[in-house]
Amino acid sequence: MMMMMTTTRSARLERTVRGWIVGGVLFTAVPVAMSAQANLSSQGFGYPPGQFSARAQGTGGAIAELDPLSPVNPATLTLLGTRTLFFQMEPEFRTVTTSAGTERTTTARYPVVFGAIPFGSQLVFSLGSSTLLDRTSSTTFLTTQHLSATDSVAMTTKFHVDGAMNDVRLAVAWTPATWLRVGVGAHAIAGHNLISVTQSFADSARFAAFSEARVLSFDGGAVSAGVELVSKNVLAAFSARRGGSMHLSVEDTSLTTANVPDRFGASIAFVGIANSTISVRTSHDNWSALGTLGEPGLKGVDAWDSSVGAEIAGPKFQDRIIFLRGGFRTRTLPFQAAGSDVKENSLTGGFGTTLAQGRVIADLAVIHANRSAAIGASEQAWTISLGISVRP
Amino acid sequence: MNKKVLTLLTAGLVVVAIAACSENLEGGRSCPLLCPEQAVTLLDTTIDAVVTDTTVPGLPPIGSEGFLMLASHGDTLETRAIIRFDTLPQSYNKTSLDSTIVHIDSAILVIPIVKPDSTKRPKAPLTIEVYNVDTTEADTVTSVLATLFRPDRFLGSKTFAPESLLDTLRLPISTDSVLTRVLAGTRLRVGFRVRSSLGIDLRIGTTHVGLPVTLNIVASKDTAARPAIVAPLSNTPKDVPFLSSTLSDYTIVLKGGTSTPTTILGVGGVPSRRVFLRFDIPSHLVDSTTIVRASLLLTQTPNRRLSLHDSVFIYPLAILATPVVTDVSSLMQFAGSCAICNLDSLSLAPGDSGLRSFEIVGLVRTWRSQPTTVSPRTLALRSGTEGQLPAEIDFFSTKAPLAVRPRLRITYVTKISSGLP
Repeated sequence: MMMMMTTTRSARLERTVRGWIVGGVLFTAVPVAMSAQANLSSQGFGYPPGQFSARAQGTGGAIAELDPLSPVNPATLTLLGTRTLFFQMEPEFRTVTTSAGTERTTTARYPVVFGAIPFGSQLVFSLGSSTLLDRTSSTTFLTTQHLSATDSVAMTTKFHVDGAMNDVRLAVAWTPATWLRVGVGAHAIAGHNLISVTQSFADSARFAAFSEARVLSFDGGAVSAGVELVSKNVLAAFSARRGGSMHLSVEDTSLTTANVPDRFGASIAFVGIANSTISVRTSHDNWSALGTLGEPGLKGVDAWDSSVGAEIAGPKFQDRIIFLRGGFRTRTLPFQAAGSDVKENSLTGGFGTTLAQGRVIADLAVIHANRSAAIGASEQAWTISLGISVRP
Repeated sequence: MNKKVLTLLTAGLVVVAIAACSENLEGGRSCPLLCPEQAVTLLDTTIDAVVTDTTVPGLPPIGSEGFLMLASHGDTLETRAIIRFDTLPQSYNKTSLDSTIVHIDSAILVIPIVKPDSTKRPKAPLTIEVYNVDTTEADTVTSVLATLFRPDRFLGSKTFAPESLLDTLRLPISTDSVLTRVLAGTRLRVGFRVRSSLGIDLRIGTTHVGLPVTLNIVASKDTAARPAIVAPLSNTPKDVPFLSSTLSDYTIVLKGGTSTPTTILGVGGVPSRRVFLRFDIPSHLVDSTTIVRASLLLTQTPNRRLSLHDSVFIYPLAILATPVVTDVSSLMQFAGSCAICNLDSLSLAPGDSGLRSFEIVGLVRTWRSQPTTVSPRTLALRSGTEGQLPAEIDFFSTKAPLAVRPRLRITYVTKISSGLP
């Protein structure tokens, strides 16, 4: 609720040698904290795309703990038998509906990029970056400020936030036995939010617009570990990330401190059908650890993220197998909107295949998400996830 | 068939994904529900920030007027316009050949004027008289020139109906007088006087704005002969071109010059004057806040001398000079437009009164982080018709009673969002 409080304070100073007198001060006090994102999903420090590859997105994330292209479980890297480069783009087409109406936005994301290189037959190293929280948004709204009983001005405020908190991971995986894969990762949480505020006025003859920008930088660290157990018909995987301390700074000044959220997750999959995987996954993120990184009152929500999905071998296309994928995902997003938890349910589908004699793997997923909170607002999003991995 | 559908579907999705690289992030309709606390705080303060204010008469300098003021208001105001033709042609062109002037068929002064708008059109006919004002005495001294408007120096006149005052007047003058000077190779300097049964103000174009009065000499009745068109030119003072060039055309005031008392700041008027203001604004406002509005508040007091209801524009101007220049009159010569200042004018009538607000936020912002030794906190006020019309706008100065003194209202922002959610 917009709080507008008008207070008049008059003060008069004695005339100085230079001869100026403060005649009066009128001010309108309005809080200046910024919850600029005009949507449900990117509240707080932003929206978590999930650190999933396009392949995993196609199954709703159900195979994420088993998928070497998803930077979740380092143990799975051993599945990459050769040098691999991976890049993913993931635009989201979002519709936010409130009692004030509906508005549509498009956000371009590039949530995962990494490379991996094997050493011998049992060891694989990987370096990559994935989006932990994407805060990119732009919000424009109109208000009127009353400067005195007879003086007011209509203002247009535009908050633009550009940037994300990224997870840069250096990982190594090892296959000590045919039924066991293990991996560890060291994470640097980095990135920035470029915040710009532009204030313009309806009365541009008397009032001059202004804009100001600042860059919030993040730095923190974490470690992760994972295992994958392999049997003929069943795969099981477990991974966890332990967060270290994290700082938010502007230029050289540290503003706030928090911890990188801990996470743990597990997948179990049935692989008894040739070239097919049917999987369930759940994970838990300790997002509340980020609460102290923002203004007082920012509340992160510790949340479960669960999904079920399948990848099956579909029709052949010029001797290439088309893998068809589908899934369902349900989770709670990391930050509340107006004091209410935001739930997200997604239906996903996709497919993937190899190209260029197996040197390129292309995966495409389409995700339809419904997000809701008990505040009279809802959000729907279509996301297209396109991942390309190349084996040079 | 299925393969083609799959290929097309894949291609379509890829195209959509790539097209989405062009973002559309604009939102806000869901505010204040989802973005409730985002307004910027505006603070407003009014201070007696004017530490020096004075009226500076005599600006613009003689010959620098945009248009010449030719006015007649009986005992209240009487001005004359002087045009110098210090070089006259001695030949004219006919069928691409030059011929020596030995006869003049007609000599006509072509006088560009500012067309009076319908509300300011004279109510009675006016007569413009032209006199020979050439003299060997001090040729810019009003008292000297005033004596030259006498019958033995009369060169011509013409009466114009009010509705004939469009953009140009044509006034024939004595061909004999012109021919004498052409043959002798001497100069012609003319003075304009206007007469009317009612008060009259006429604005005549100048070389300064590229609309000079010209002398058209027709030296032959032959229609193939082209008239010689003579533009104003002053050759005195000798060897001082930057002074002589401005004296091609100028105005002199015979009657009606006024001065401004110290309690008043006068803008415009006769002789034309500007206002100089120096501010002292607390540095915490200039340097540590974002100023969004700066209003110079002046209280206008009526000037009931002339043109009570004829509005003129008053312009606030930046003074583009460092503190090295200390003389106020000199400083005012550096008053000019400031492209980034975006200063706005006010349209005011001399007979009106009340609080006036000049918006100068663009100028005040240029003072941010600049010491006064680099960027003095100064401002000039200028009439848009200075030297052209007698209208004078008066404001109370800092020597007037406290309630009506100049003040500065500043609206500013001290803190903009930290950016933290």
